[in-house]
Amino acid sequence: MISYDFEYFKPSSIDKAISLFQSLDQQGKEPIYFSGGTEIITLGRVNKIKTGAVIDIKEIPECLVLKRESNKLTFGAAQTLNRIRESQYFRFLNKAIGEIADHTARNKITLGGNMCANIIYRETILPLLLTDSQVIIAGPGGLKQLPLNEVFDQTLRLQRGELLIQIMIEEKESELPFLCIKKRRQWDVGYPLMTIAALKKDQQIRFAFSGLCSYPFRNEKMDGSLNNQALPKEARIEEAMRQIPAPVLKDVHGSEDYRRFVFKNTLLDVLDTIGGTEIE
Amino acid sequence: MSWSIGHSVYRKDGLEKVTGRAKYTGDHSSKDMLHIKMVVSSYAHAKIKAINTTKALKVSGVRGIVLGQPFPLTGEEIKDRPPIAYDKVRYHGEPVAVVVADTALQAQKAAELIEVTYEPLPVVNSPKNALLPGAPLVHENLAVYERIEHVYPEANTNIADRIKIRKGCMNEGWKASHEMVEASFSFSQSDHMAMETRCVIAEIHPDGCVVFTSATQSPYMIKHLMSDYFNLEDGKIIVKTPLVGGAFGGKVAVQLELIAYMASLAVGGRPVKLVNTREEDMITSPVHIGLDATIKLGATKDGQLTAAEILYMFDTGAYSDKGATISRAAAVTSTGPYHIDNVWCDSLCVYTNHPYVTAYRGFGHSELSFAFERAMDMLAKKLDMNPLELRMKNAILPGQTTPTQIRLNESTVGNLPNCIETLKQQMNWNEGQVIPINDRKVRAKGISCIWKTSTIDSDASSGVILVFNRDGSVNIESGVVEIGMGTKTVLAQMLAEKLKMDVNKIFVKMEIDTQSIPEHWKTVASRGTLMAGRALLKAADDAIVQMKDIASRVLMCSPDELEVGNERVYVRDEPDIYIKVKDICYGYKYPHGYAIGGQVIGRGQYMLRHLTHIDPKTGVGRPGPEYTVAAQGAEIEFDTRDYTYKILKAYSVIDAGIVLNRKLAKGQVMGAMEMGLNFGSSETFVFSEQGEVLNSRLRTYTPFRYGDHPEYVVSFIETPYIESAYGARGLGEHGLIGMPAALANALSVASGMELNRLPLTPEAIWRKKIGVNEY
Repeated sequence: MISYDFEYFKPSSIDKAISLFQSLDQQGKEPIYFSGGTEIITLGRVNKIKTGAVIDIKEIPECLVLKRESNKLTFGAAQTLNRIRESQYFRFLNKAIGEIADHTARNKITLGGNMCANIIYRETILPLLLTDSQVIIAGPGGLKQLPLNEVFDQTLRLQRGELLIQIMIEEKESELPFLCIKKRRQWDVGYPLMTIAALKKDQQIRFAFSGLCSYPFRNEKMDGSLNNQALPKEARIEEAMRQIPAPVLKDVHGSEDYRRFVFKNTLLDVLDTIGGTEIE
Repeated sequence: MSWSIGHSVYRKDGLEKVTGRAKYTGDHSSKDMLHIKMVVSSYAHAKIKAINTTKALKVSGVRGIVLGQPFPLTGEEIKDRPPIAYDKVRYHGEPVAVVVADTALQAQKAAELIEVTYEPLPVVNSPKNALLPGAPLVHENLAVYERIEHVYPEANTNIADRIKIRKGCMNEGWKASHEMVEASFSFSQSDHMAMETRCVIAEIHPDGCVVFTSATQSPYMIKHLMSDYFNLEDGKIIVKTPLVGGAFGGKVAVQLELIAYMASLAVGGRPVKLVNTREEDMITSPVHIGLDATIKLGATKDGQLTAAEILYMFDTGAYSDKGATISRAAAVTSTGPYHIDNVWCDSLCVYTNHPYVTAYRGFGHSELSFAFERAMDMLAKKLDMNPLELRMKNAILPGQTTPTQIRLNESTVGNLPNCIETLKQQMNWNEGQVIPINDRKVRAKGISCIWKTSTIDSDASSGVILVFNRDGSVNIESGVVEIGMGTKTVLAQMLAEKLKMDVNKIFVKMEIDTQSIPEHWKTVASRGTLMAGRALLKAADDAIVQMKDIASRVLMCSPDELEVGNERVYVRDEPDIYIKVKDICYGYKYPHGYAIGGQVIGRGQYMLRHLTHIDPKTGVGRPGPEYTVAAQGAEIEFDTRDYTYKILKAYSVIDAGIVLNRKLAKGQVMGAMEMGLNFGSSETFVFSEQGEVLNSRLRTYTPFRYGDHPEYVVSFIETPYIESAYGARGLGEHGLIGMPAALANALSVASGMELNRLPLTPEAIWRKKIGVNEY
């Protein structure tokens, strides 16, 4: 049960959503955009998210696009993880999606919701960061298209009232060899101890991480170390571990030093595996 | 051929459940019902300095706020617990205030506005620490608490009870031994995780009748304890229990009923409803016990056990409630199912600032078995002996004595060697315990042996009433609560067997109403089939006498020449002379109008025979009736680089006496095995240094999900227990008991390390490897 009252709106266009946000914000309602709702409901019931109004974006046509057209893949932010997975457009993303929550929850969780969530893992970000995807963002000034890598720094850097509409990637990027490995404290469903995603392009391997620190990230220095062919694999990993940009997490899923142990092992697996071409 | 015994009869509650029509406590509501929300402690140990309810009382719809009072103090053995904390809180999650409002929403809003000021106190965070000299006291007034006669709290300590087992002569035992092992074992508390969270509705009628609808395993105990705690008349307490959505021991405790009663009292007796959130169900309501243990074993060169010195320190949490009883149950079977001449055991029920505990499926046995069975594997290693052979050599046999010095026979102990031998074949034990798969992975096997009797009250009883319908069909009324185990279906099978009739013409009342249904002590301890089964047979005999009496007058013969079967009462050697049951079960009417007899109503009751308290100095006594023994195993695939693993197969070979319903029995055992594997591999509360539970949500507390399960291999040995109806032994808990130990033994042999701490996560194994146990 959510103990506070909030208003609910379901606008049918981007413009209406944006202007609703502005007016509700001016009224001090602290509005938030609402997509699958899984996080607002579960954190709302323990008062970790508070809001006076939610704006449901699931009736905005642009947010529901799911298409492969002119060598581009477009994913609407309000599409559910399961629908995206069923579309089979993007195997790398599908792999990340298949490890998030459970099937029932993925019927509700949306791509935009996961990317913009409070939850620290936001694992759909990883394949999108590595494939140089673009995001379409709506705001009071209209629509803009930006590279995800430019607007993502720990979180998706949206201005107040801005709304993530779509994610686009080049189809050829979606065909590159990849790996996405999720490690958990125990068993095969639930939050990660960490997730490591890797993509091979132009003989270089790109890495992105979730669950290692308190936010998902790509890091050029770590990529540099891990691709340093002059060093043996273990040494590359050691060097990369010295470049981790933030404190390594310690929580009920695992301690900091255990996470480092798992990180090292998993990277070894990635380096061993992704040397070949046929991988998943 | 049997009429029904041994058949996999569909559950009588099956259709209601699979169609979603079954009603549980939480499904009941009425217009005049008020709703309760608890405010719970955010500290594990703190003085309550002030509680400010001003803002909360202003929330619309609020009818009352109840705070803790010095009395009554409650608890089944030691009265140490105020239903709502008074003066200080002793665990994270303890109720400190209760709001009653028109709607659940208003109650929650108000609860969020209650301001509690605490002054934190030093925290007791484990049984080991609780026993250190100078440890803070969880209960300063332990010495003056009211208690039952057979519990022995130690004043000015954190020891709520100490149970002693003294068998044989330890010096002799050590003298006779050539090898010795000694090791410590531990695990934290965890939870039951029933699908239905605990829930109660309470109402006080103008005539003083207090009526509960409760998701409980103990409707009759609620009646008894309410009368004791609040000085109410026994007959004025009525408890109704609909179907219960999983219990696993967690719904034995009487907790929310007390709070709901106090809340109803505060609002003029109106009906009030209290439903636990998942978080409250995990820590505010009582939990699964934790343990620190030390075991020392001695054996001869050829593996004969000569001595066992055992120290169990159970983590009962903030209150003793069932913790003392569990510590006692663990003491009386402290050695596992092995014959040992010389046993010294101290089993301690220790207070900490953790959530308080209640029964958990297995009642102390999976806990002691983990420790003892790990010690057995360590001993086998030291003796350079196959662990299965070590168990076979020491397996308890008819004619031998238990730690409480009771001599067993085939009926009371069954056939453990047969279980071990069957397990050996099923697990293909001879291929070896560790089989390499590749340069990183190995397949490994571990086993354990278990036993369990039920240490319930020696005067616990069960009653059954059989009421006939006009068409000759029968209704069974028994106080056994249907908590998902199917006992009531088995009762119908027994009656079908006894009356030689179609089980589909037997109806079972699933819901309990203590005002009309005879008492079944508590639905616990795998005792439903034994106790209600025996009561049912007696009730059936009673009904048969009544039917024969009427039939004898119709058929003009003596009642002792008659038999009942096929829905007829017939002359034994001339079955063609009969009268149909339907023509006499409501009496018989002669053609000219005279009538005799009346509705046939059978009644029967059963009380366990010859049980005793155990001697406080030596532990001698007969604490329970029969034992169920079993051999269990786990087969895993282990990654020697990163310490991750999969459980491939889990095995149980159980001496079930006679299996009454094969599929129900297998289902019971598989479900129990699953719980045991979760307890062994993943489930645990993580406590902060301040004693807070850091993972009281299913997001961070992880049992198996779909797809995580191994293959379950379940088989039964059948050595009848003569005392029970149709030879069955207790079976509800036993599949769980050996699983944590079997898993730990498999992982220990796979990793080459002695893994003596649960749960066995990959991190825990890695920690052992690098030599750091705590984090």
